[in-house]
Amino acid sequence: MSAVPPPAISVEGLTKDFLLSVRGYRVRAVDDLTLQVPAGQVFGLLGPNGSGKSTTIKVVLGLIEPTLGRTAIFGVRSAEVRSRLNVGYLPENPNFHRFLSGRELVTFYARVCGVDRARLRDRVDEVIEWVGLKDAASRRLSTYSKGMLQRIGLAQAVVHDPRLLILDEPTAGVDPVGSAEIGELILRLKAQGKTVVLSSHLLAQVEDLCDRIAILNRGRLVLEGGVDDLVTEKGRDALIVRGLDASALGDLRGWLDGRGAELVAVEKPRTTLDRIFREHVAERMQAADAPTAPGPGTEGRPR
Amino acid sequence: MSAPGTVSFSLRRIGVIAELTVLEAVRQRLFGVLLVLAAGMIAGAQLLREFNFGSSELKFITDFGFGAVTLFGTILAVVTAAQLFFAEIENRTALTLLAKPVFRAEFVLGKFAGVAAVLALFVGVTTGVLVAVLWMREQSLMASVPEAFERGRLVQYGSVVAFGALQWLKFSVIAALTLVIAGFANTNLYSVVISFLVVLICHLQYLAHESWRRMASGVGRTAAMLLAAVFPNFQMFNVGDRVAAGQAIDPVVLGGSAAYGALYLAVFLALAVYVFRRREI
Repeated sequence: MSAVPPPAISVEGLTKDFLLSVRGYRVRAVDDLTLQVPAGQVFGLLGPNGSGKSTTIKVVLGLIEPTLGRTAIFGVRSAEVRSRLNVGYLPENPNFHRFLSGRELVTFYARVCGVDRARLRDRVDEVIEWVGLKDAASRRLSTYSKGMLQRIGLAQAVVHDPRLLILDEPTAGVDPVGSAEIGELILRLKAQGKTVVLSSHLLAQVEDLCDRIAILNRGRLVLEGGVDDLVTEKGRDALIVRGLDASALGDLRGWLDGRGAELVAVEKPRTTLDRIFREHVAERMQAADAPTAPGPGTEGRPR
Repeated sequence: MSAPGTVSFSLRRIGVIAELTVLEAVRQRLFGVLLVLAAGMIAGAQLLREFNFGSSELKFITDFGFGAVTLFGTILAVVTAAQLFFAEIENRTALTLLAKPVFRAEFVLGKFAGVAAVLALFVGVTTGVLVAVLWMREQSLMASVPEAFERGRLVQYGSVVAFGALQWLKFSVIAALTLVIAGFANTNLYSVVISFLVVLICHLQYLAHESWRRMASGVGRTAAMLLAAVFPNFQMFNVGDRVAAGQAIDPVVLGGSAAYGALYLAVFLALAVYVFRRREI
């Protein structure tokens, strides 16, 4: 009988208090939290500001100590440095060494993580290309936009090929196009079998990307479950029909009544503003990036 | 090398963090400005022609050069150590780094090693400029007033270099001290101001030491003794007057000062690691 593999993250009875003053005033950021993140899934950690998401992540990563409780990564206690061997982390509003170029930053983290020297250069180029920053790799980070910083942050997080990625607000402050691109990268990580923990306020994106979610409020777990289970309305079905006129609709209503069912609503399917924005802006950006006709003095292609 | 699934304390990781620290320092303007100012002052000392008093001029240039190395080196040690360490916490770049398999001790020691390398570069360049200036001036004085050099050269170049090495050690102690303070400070300014105050105390520590020796007994003696033990006596590194006077540094004195500096360095680094391990970032 084979042993059950440990979850990617386990949090047991976690409580974290922060001391506010020397007089002993404390604020409780996380209150008796217990949850598990199964391996190989995209897990959403949701909650309003101050709900304890980032604090939980920091405790899991061993950056701060819990007041009570235990956390572990792939069964290794967070207090041990080796628990972070298989973790990539993108903090909220990442702030990297701005005097470095994108390539220098990723190379630095690759070396810190012990990426083999023989394949260091190839691996760095590979992840920079993966996040779509090949052309900006030699530029200083001080010239990067917010979306580019998030993407180079993702590159440093994956450079040592970890099994678990913890992404704290990876799309905060990023425009919808950049946000969708980061979403694509997360799906690709999932396809590679990685576990991704995603903390975000963008609920639509979380719904698209995550297999499971946990909602925190005031440091407590208020809801946890599979996204499909949570968002599917039980006992209702939706039909999307084309070419249904008023008389046919009346017939349909009568037909449903005859079978004990009720037509609750008739409405036009709606798209989302997010999708419209992405379609229109992304199309224009792609058109702008397309090669233009060669200028004077350049070698032109036959027209 | 660590076995799979384990992480050992690694000099390689300390080296990688130190390299980044050096790169950051060199790309910041402060290092370049201080280096150019110090080297410029030392090089400009021989242009102060109104102070031309024959062979004594060499003592003046040596004194002037030592003063520039000490002043700008102290500023560089405090500001660079505070800035390069505290900025990692303030800008939260330390979050990303410490979320990797990195020991906090490696982080602190890597930062220190980087600052120490920057200080070595500074002391190396400024001492090199001082040696070059002294050499050129001595050559020209040997031609104009040969009778002053009947017993050979007046400048003890080996001692000038030894002075530079001792100053580097002193600056490294200052940097380690600053790391201790930055480890619990809430702002960069606090780190810098308190560090300069402590450096001042270390320069005046010999007064506490002498008080302790003169006092018979009592609370005052204990307090003076504690003060003398906690803060290093920076006068131990003050061999500039002897070197400027053309005297060689006694190897025993040199070795004693180096051992004294190394001891305080080890204590302050251990303290910096202890303080930072307890810090929540």
